[in-house]
Amino acid sequence: MTADHWNEPSGAPETVTRDVLIVGGGPAGLSAAERLAAAGLTVTLVDEQPELGGQYYRRPAPAVAERWGDHRPEGGALVERVRAAGAECRTRHTVWGVDDDGRTLLAVDGEGRPVRLRGRYLIIATGAYERVLPFPGWQLPGVATPGFAQHLAASEHTPIGERVLVAGSGPFLLPVACSLVDLGVTVVGVAEAGTPYRPRPAALGALRHPARLRELAGYVTRLARARVPIWQGHSVVRAEGTDRVSSVTVAAVGDPAAARTFLVDALCVGYGFRPQTDLARMLGCDVRTDAVTGDATPVTDPRGRTSRPGVYVIGEAAGIGGAPTARARGLLAAFDILIREGRPPARRDLLRAGAALRGLARFTELTGRLFPSPARLTSSLVPPLPGDTMICRCEAVTAREIRAVAGEAEVPAPVDVNAVKARTRAGMGPCQGRECGVAVAALVRSVAGRTTDANVFPARTPIRPIPLRALLATETTPETTPKTTPGASPDALGPATPQEERP
Amino acid sequence: MSGVLTADAVIVGAGVLGAAAAHHLARAGHRVVILERGAPGREGSGTTAGNLHIQAVHSQRPGQEVPLDNARFLPLQRAASERWETLEEELGASVELRRSGGFTVAETPGQHAELVEKHAWETGAGIPTEVLDGDAARAALPQLGPTVIAATWCALDGYANPLKVTPAYLSSAARSGARTHPYSPVRRIDRHREGWRVTAGRDGGLVVDTPVVVDTAGPWLGRVAAMAGAALRMSPVAIQMHSTVRLPPILPHLVQHIGEGLSVKQVAAGNLLIGGGWPARTLDLEGRSLPSLASLHGNVRLAARVLPFLADLRLLRMWAGPLAATPDEMPLIGEVPGLPGFLVAGGTYAFTFAPLWGETLRCLAESKPPPVDIADLGPGRLMDHADHQADHQEERNTQC
Repeated sequence: MTADHWNEPSGAPETVTRDVLIVGGGPAGLSAAERLAAAGLTVTLVDEQPELGGQYYRRPAPAVAERWGDHRPEGGALVERVRAAGAECRTRHTVWGVDDDGRTLLAVDGEGRPVRLRGRYLIIATGAYERVLPFPGWQLPGVATPGFAQHLAASEHTPIGERVLVAGSGPFLLPVACSLVDLGVTVVGVAEAGTPYRPRPAALGALRHPARLRELAGYVTRLARARVPIWQGHSVVRAEGTDRVSSVTVAAVGDPAAARTFLVDALCVGYGFRPQTDLARMLGCDVRTDAVTGDATPVTDPRGRTSRPGVYVIGEAAGIGGAPTARARGLLAAFDILIREGRPPARRDLLRAGAALRGLARFTELTGRLFPSPARLTSSLVPPLPGDTMICRCEAVTAREIRAVAGEAEVPAPVDVNAVKARTRAGMGPCQGRECGVAVAALVRSVAGRTTDANVFPARTPIRPIPLRALLATETTPETTPKTTPGASPDALGPATPQEERP
Repeated sequence: MSGVLTADAVIVGAGVLGAAAAHHLARAGHRVVILERGAPGREGSGTTAGNLHIQAVHSQRPGQEVPLDNARFLPLQRAASERWETLEEELGASVELRRSGGFTVAETPGQHAELVEKHAWETGAGIPTEVLDGDAARAALPQLGPTVIAATWCALDGYANPLKVTPAYLSSAARSGARTHPYSPVRRIDRHREGWRVTAGRDGGLVVDTPVVVDTAGPWLGRVAAMAGAALRMSPVAIQMHSTVRLPPILPHLVQHIGEGLSVKQVAAGNLLIGGGWPARTLDLEGRSLPSLASLHGNVRLAARVLPFLADLRLLRMWAGPLAATPDEMPLIGEVPGLPGFLVAGGTYAFTFAPLWGETLRCLAESKPPPVDIADLGPGRLMDHADHQADHQEERNTQC
């Protein structure tokens, strides 16, 4: 082939080789990075966002911080400690795939330049997605997730609307409603699909977590003072509007007859969070279906070890537990790596971290008992959706189309979500089915009675759409001098065979 | 055992070839049972690019050991082209068929010479093509880049959505009484009286007696044939495809390369599909074959050189799919010598040839002459001589 390569890249792509490579700069990734870097290992931490902190420790924009302060100053302090410990922090880096060796991560930086990332140990701390479930009108502008409203409030000090209804399920709804109230928003109400705030025996365990109880009571008091009603056992039936959402109808779960409609200019609906597992799956980490959430979750031990040697999954990516749990998981993974590197931490630190994680696990379990299980919510809210409800927003696929394929009589039902994807295009858009996958699976199950495959769309490369121009500059990778501890083999991980979840 | 079904034909593999055969057989009044190990149309038939290759194709995909015999294909392509033209009417369904023509480009003088040579074959086979120099090609398709020095144009090249074609064939077959059993892997194939007994299903509970078995099992074709006692030398491979994000209509034609593995087109949904037979990282006949990042880079680099506007798009996803390739890279269709009623079909350009092979399989099942000459495409060439006493004897005689 002699055609001249006129669009050949000018320089070789950058390859970063470290002792430890951490993907995700939230509470989990930061906690691990701090310990590992402080112990003298070479650590690179990459994050998609312009600032470290993740969703929980999201840093306010400078102007916002100056005027309103930082809502979580401990996050900023942690980031400072990570930098001071010597960890290399790379923001605006999107990890989009895993190279053919099964261990080199492929990323693009903020300027669209390719970067290859290698670590003797890989720590995946990619966090969570918000759990969204479709309903008629959810594609209207003005309909957002609680997390997005919180993000706007925290980093931009901007309210998502003037009259807002907050709905969904989970402990996150109350702090979001409070943030909106603090910004002067009229919160017309909070619709919680479960009944977590009714006194009952299951709630008694909360007495063992007084700090959490005080936090919860604080939210409830602030909302009561602002006269924001909390409707338990209620969910959104539909949102309506022409250019954007203008009204939302709420009804008791399972009793759509007793519906009430509210005028709003924004609506926040979310059913908590689910692990962001694409990268872990591409790396070949075993996953299982969590019985309570229905989510594909990487199989990890308390140290964050996965089925792949040297690959750790920590934080929300390993299962939803909240920021304190994420930090504890980050510490334990760091300690495990330090032990393997012959630099064990103090025994007291180890014991304390282990005890903290066990205590937090009990709290998570309690929360799980108070709120309806996401798997149950999904199977009660999705199957009754009207036929014209948009399920896949990227490809505009309705519930009717999915039911038609799943229940087709002529060609016996392709009772798996990937067959439905192929027939309807649901899940083929830019989000790769991350938004609609749960709902598509619920619809298929409700029509066909079962699904034969994993209930999840496979994790496809690239994880995020990436510019082809970045690929043109990647290709061959001359090794740069590895920045790793002397004597350590950068090939400790070996090749992977990425796994899709199997039932 | 809970009752044995009887059928006039059992088709193993509900990919595009099996579905096409089912359509033709069922429509002719035969009772057809289709057995599929997973979901219909999922594997090669659901992962293919969906190109209708009517002009002679690039003869060697990346990693392919033996070049295609392009000239041999042309009468088959001509016959397939006619059948695609009427397919949507025949099936009563849209398959997003688009015959908006295609270019095959050259970037070197050697490749240019190949275009001229293949143009002569095409003319001889009744396939109208035209050789353009680089500037004429760019005038016709301004997106072509400066490295293109020549191109052939064929108005018959096109595209059909593979995700629509197989289901449409199966629906048509079902309307004529064919019955598809998905998630029913074949366990055994035994001689039974004058015909065959096929045992399928996860628990082996599905048993069908039939005079005719059609093995269209794609990459599993060889395994299925082995159950019936035929050792075929197959060389299944997995290749991969790449899709960009959606775009308003910008590329009306199929673009291929005469010297390297490249096919680019824009599909009805607006995505641009980039392929060309680049090898996947794994061929996994038990699970999901995985695409290769090296092939992604190679394929995209080539695509962006021929069509520079692609560099400004974003890659949406990539995927791999298995194919039933043969060691000689020629299509495979015919009855297995020594196994009366056991038919096989698969191999190169199965998607383009599906309407033709569906009809051909019906003819073979009815012991009628096929619509095109397939004498040299049968499975005998892929069998060991030990299985083939007659040939073996003949060969020895010639040597003597």
